[in-house]
Amino acid sequence: MSNRSRALFVCLLFNALFVTAQDVTLDSDMISGLPIRAIGPAAMGGRIADIAAVREGGRLTIYIGSASGGVWKSVDSGTTFKSVFDKQPSLSIGSIAIDPQNAKTVWVGTGESWVRNSVSVGTGLYRSRDGGENWEAMGLPDSEHVSRMIIHPKESNTVYACALGHLWNSNAERGVFKTTDGGKTWNKILYRNDSTGCAELAMDPQDAGVLYAAMWDVRREPHNFRSGGPGSGLFKSTDGGTTWHELRKGLPEGDLGRIGIGIAASKTSRVYAVVEAKNHTALFRSDDSGDSWTEVNSSFNVSGRPFYFARLAVDPKNPDRVYKPGFFLTVSEDAGKSFSAAFSASEGPGENLHSDMHALWINPENPDQLLVGTDGGVYQSLDQATHWRFLANLPVSQFYHVSFDMSDPYNVYGGLQDNGTWMGPSRAPGVIANRHWRVIGMGDGFWAFSDPADPDYAYVEYQGAMISRFRKSTGEAKDIKPLPRPGEPEFRFNWNAPIHVSPNQAGTVYLGGQFLFRSRDHGESWDRISPDLTTNDPARQHQETSGGLTIDNSDAEKYETIYTIAESPKDANVIWVGTDDGNVQITRDGGKHWTNLVKNISGLPANTWVSTIEASHFDPAVAYATFDGHAGGDMKTYVYRTADYGKTWTSLSTPELNGYAHVIREDLVNKNLLFVGTEFGLFISIDSGAHWAQFKGSLPNVAVRDLSIHPRESDLLVATHGRGIYILDDLTPIRALTPEILAKDFVLLPSRPSVLTLAASEQRFDGDSEFAGRTLPEAAGIVYYQRKRHIFGDLKIDVSDEKGNLLTSIQGDKRKGLNRVQWPERAKPPKMPPAAGLVENEFAMLGPQVQEGTYTVKVTKGKDSYSSDIKLVPDPRSKSTAADRALQHKTVMQLYDMLGRLTFIVDSTNDLRDQARQRAASATDSGLKDQLNGLVQKLEDFRSTLVSVKEGGMITGEKKLREKLGELYGGVNGYCGRPTQSQVDSTGVFQKKLDEAASQFQSITGPALQSINAGLQAKSVEPLKAMSREEWEKKQK
Amino acid sequence: MFRKVCLSMIVLAVLAPCLLAQSVDEIIAKNVQARGGAEKLKSVQSIKSTATMSMGPGIEAPGVLIQKRPTLARLEFTVQGLTAVQAYDGKNGWQIMPFMGKKDPELMSADEAKEIEENADLDGPLVDYKSKGHQVELQGKEKIEGTDAYKLKVTLKNGDVQTIYIDSESFLDIKEVTKRSVRGTEQEIESAIGDYKAVDGIMFPFAVESGIKGTDQKQKLTITKVELNVPADDSLFKMPAAAPKADAPKPDAPKTDPPKN
Repeated sequence: MSNRSRALFVCLLFNALFVTAQDVTLDSDMISGLPIRAIGPAAMGGRIADIAAVREGGRLTIYIGSASGGVWKSVDSGTTFKSVFDKQPSLSIGSIAIDPQNAKTVWVGTGESWVRNSVSVGTGLYRSRDGGENWEAMGLPDSEHVSRMIIHPKESNTVYACALGHLWNSNAERGVFKTTDGGKTWNKILYRNDSTGCAELAMDPQDAGVLYAAMWDVRREPHNFRSGGPGSGLFKSTDGGTTWHELRKGLPEGDLGRIGIGIAASKTSRVYAVVEAKNHTALFRSDDSGDSWTEVNSSFNVSGRPFYFARLAVDPKNPDRVYKPGFFLTVSEDAGKSFSAAFSASEGPGENLHSDMHALWINPENPDQLLVGTDGGVYQSLDQATHWRFLANLPVSQFYHVSFDMSDPYNVYGGLQDNGTWMGPSRAPGVIANRHWRVIGMGDGFWAFSDPADPDYAYVEYQGAMISRFRKSTGEAKDIKPLPRPGEPEFRFNWNAPIHVSPNQAGTVYLGGQFLFRSRDHGESWDRISPDLTTNDPARQHQETSGGLTIDNSDAEKYETIYTIAESPKDANVIWVGTDDGNVQITRDGGKHWTNLVKNISGLPANTWVSTIEASHFDPAVAYATFDGHAGGDMKTYVYRTADYGKTWTSLSTPELNGYAHVIREDLVNKNLLFVGTEFGLFISIDSGAHWAQFKGSLPNVAVRDLSIHPRESDLLVATHGRGIYILDDLTPIRALTPEILAKDFVLLPSRPSVLTLAASEQRFDGDSEFAGRTLPEAAGIVYYQRKRHIFGDLKIDVSDEKGNLLTSIQGDKRKGLNRVQWPERAKPPKMPPAAGLVENEFAMLGPQVQEGTYTVKVTKGKDSYSSDIKLVPDPRSKSTAADRALQHKTVMQLYDMLGRLTFIVDSTNDLRDQARQRAASATDSGLKDQLNGLVQKLEDFRSTLVSVKEGGMITGEKKLREKLGELYGGVNGYCGRPTQSQVDSTGVFQKKLDEAASQFQSITGPALQSINAGLQAKSVEPLKAMSREEWEKKQK
Repeated sequence: MFRKVCLSMIVLAVLAPCLLAQSVDEIIAKNVQARGGAEKLKSVQSIKSTATMSMGPGIEAPGVLIQKRPTLARLEFTVQGLTAVQAYDGKNGWQIMPFMGKKDPELMSADEAKEIEENADLDGPLVDYKSKGHQVELQGKEKIEGTDAYKLKVTLKNGDVQTIYIDSESFLDIKEVTKRSVRGTEQEIESAIGDYKAVDGIMFPFAVESGIKGTDQKQKLTITKVELNVPADDSLFKMPAAAPKADAPKPDAPKTDPPKN
């Protein structure tokens, strides 16, 4: 060994010795193997930012760019969709462009441009060259919002990006960008100032050198929105963007706001623009390629909310037909002079179509076909916007919050951006379908809680604390918003005003304005239990005038309000409050005295929005807080903990966290286990926040706005803003993780007791066009952690009962980290003899459900083995007694064994028949041959009394012993309770028939064999032999 | 579903993860070496694999796959005593699906026969891929469920595209995604592969979990026995003529083994 290699060896040894438990910290790969269930729903959609489509091979390929749920692709005209952008850093989509030269090349600009208060942020441009399978980052990472991507019709490497830039602060990466080398380098070809970006870009369909760009001076702050300023304007280039000139002739004087552009493809001198000016937004038309403009229309839908609705779509074949997506969709057939009423075939405006249209795609080959993207998903029309079909397969719902009730299965509750408040089940037979969800509130939904004092009621709200108490059984709702009493000022409530349900006393509920309100009587009356807890600076309280050139007073900029409330589960007098302007307040005497703690928090910029406060479940002095500075342009993740009622705070932020923070939750059982939701995902810590790991798996990098833990089921409920609700079932194994366990090669981890779920099924033939949420599998979870992927040798799990009888062996999952293997809680399926078809009962396919009790799990991993127990408990919903279930088990096992016995009889019949046939085929003695053939015939006749033999393609209706017994087995197997007397009696009847069949077999074969075997032996041919039960058993193994 | 059975391999020499850029052919060579080496693989004339398929909660089907050179395959599996057959005779796929009361052999459509057709390639698509008319592209290294793997995009001659993930340490196949066009619509089947064991000096995976990508409908295939060079007559792979009489009780489909329930 040379010195050098010795040194290397020592170095390696050193490394090996010092990789100790302390060095192993949780990482994403270790936790992401646990299945997380997307339960949707897609009964409502979420906001859609852009739509692109192209005909490929005779079929329509559609890309949907959702505001915060990624890109969805359909290759079948919208019947089915799959998400194709989940692994990218941001799921907020601004614009999608398909290369006219090659439909497999797709560009996506991230960061939507419909910049309402709740808008997300992008991370630049992306390109796929294989129709969305793989993506590469293509630059402009600081553009934050991208309004439009355009690919040159002839030169695929020439691409334009219309980048809006930062919304919440100034930056320079904004304006119009161009690449001619496929994205390697970008030139900023149009720039105004550091608060102005590109809001729309349009290319002349006949002349790729002609471009129109709408520049928009815009800024959001937490308390204000400004659309419009000196940077705005409409610009034109005729040389592919090298030079630009402003178009002004005929357009309004003074500052402009957002501008939308539409060029008539069939006559490109015709250009439309919807232009926001001071208190006046209107449609302008140019018939000279933009040189001069005439105002043609300022009707309600054309002019409404110009920052939010700024697209125009001209019919590709008719220059006079122009659509205006707005609050509704309207169309002009006369070049903008008049506009239709809102499209609606049968009912009033908005009744059959979600309002707030952003994206509109018109099929260039067939302008009757349209796709519209709204605040509530995508609709398709095939009759020029008269009738619409909702695409119920896009789970892009934008939840703000999530909660639960204590039903079984429990329901989840939550409010959504512009889609009301919904409740839906955590599990359902087969799938959690759209139809299982129920809408229980309107408007923009936020917090929702089932009333712990009376589960028939739920608290729901819409924007600005329009809180009501909804009765589930009748659908009635009572408004319970607190109103100012004599001498009280106007109340200020956040857009997303916090409702908090007391963890200590059922019936007590809180609501946050600038004051904290508490009700002890379900909202019938409210006590103001605090002074103004905000900074109360009048300079930042002018919601009524917010909007810039156009007033946009929707409560979205209502500021200096309470945003988060937490009553300590350990002490009802300890209440924490966080405000949108950065105050953290505590009372320790139920609201009599309050202390502002924010000055105790170091490293936190002033006035940073408090996004959550979580009071510890273990200690009233402990609380956690997240802060969200993105509305001031600060995208950092702020997470803090205090253990002394807020006197001192420790930062729990580490570089592993990514995205501005929305929520922190402490586990209910393991106080070291913490969960954080940020704009870019879900993060978990098992060491009190010293290290964090992102939970990935099938959860995309979507904004996690709220988290909740179901105390009975130990499920983590994840409210995503863009992908609906996810459920991470059973935190028990994660609760058990420690750094020591992470350092081990293999560890079996505990799970919650598994419920022997009552068998339920639902017949549905829904087609493929609806989203199907995943339900909880009817299985016991066996969870283990392994440090590395398993590759060599067995990884199998043997499950045995208390007596040590092996019930089943299951293949283990291989991946690194946590794995959950499902044991279906059933024994192997019954044996059945061959026949003409399947037994027509779905439960006849399945083995019998095992009984409640403790089972041993033995994992064999290569040469090692590990053991643990799992506990199976009866379904708490069951009305059966233990004696009922025991009788069910006894009966089903009897039938199970009877099916085995029948199989033995049929198998021995067939075996003997085949022996006889074979002897007959070679027999030379005609008498013996006849005898053998006679036996064959008798056995066949006998067989046809035992099993169906008519081959008629399923509908012969033939039912013999096998089919009848199989159906009886299925009937008893499909119900987890006492079998009917009829079923029990029938079991006895079939027992008798089996006995008869056995003796019939004896009587057919007994005398016949004696005589035939004598004949065979005389010819020195091997005699016939009926199979014994022992021989048959042996063959089964 | 038995796809992986044929991706055989040998007890490998321990191969350290290679940090250098590797070419497609180098990775394939290491994969072949890890499986047992080209010579060893070529010496196998037929493979018989016995397995159990778990097809959802409490549903299990025993099955047998026989593969024979040059490109023959026959798969049988049994549910409720009814044995189904899918086979490939080197040109066409055919099947007997007895579950709905018909036991006549039927020709499979070209699209639907692709799976059994691909099963008939005893060595797997990477071995001699050029002469088989496949294309292989190395798409870099990717983390598969936390494990570093080489990503090979294999465009098969029949149009299917398989993405094969080769573990960067063992150089064995740990995951495959097969994209198949059925009547112009793409289907994606994802398989996790593992539990490798040596059989006569060749490494075989004994566990495969497959399902349509993006769903939780997974099928677990657990192989209990792999036998090499078992005699298998060519007639096993040929589609039998339909039975003449519809009413007469009919013998069950020909079997390579007694039915196992």
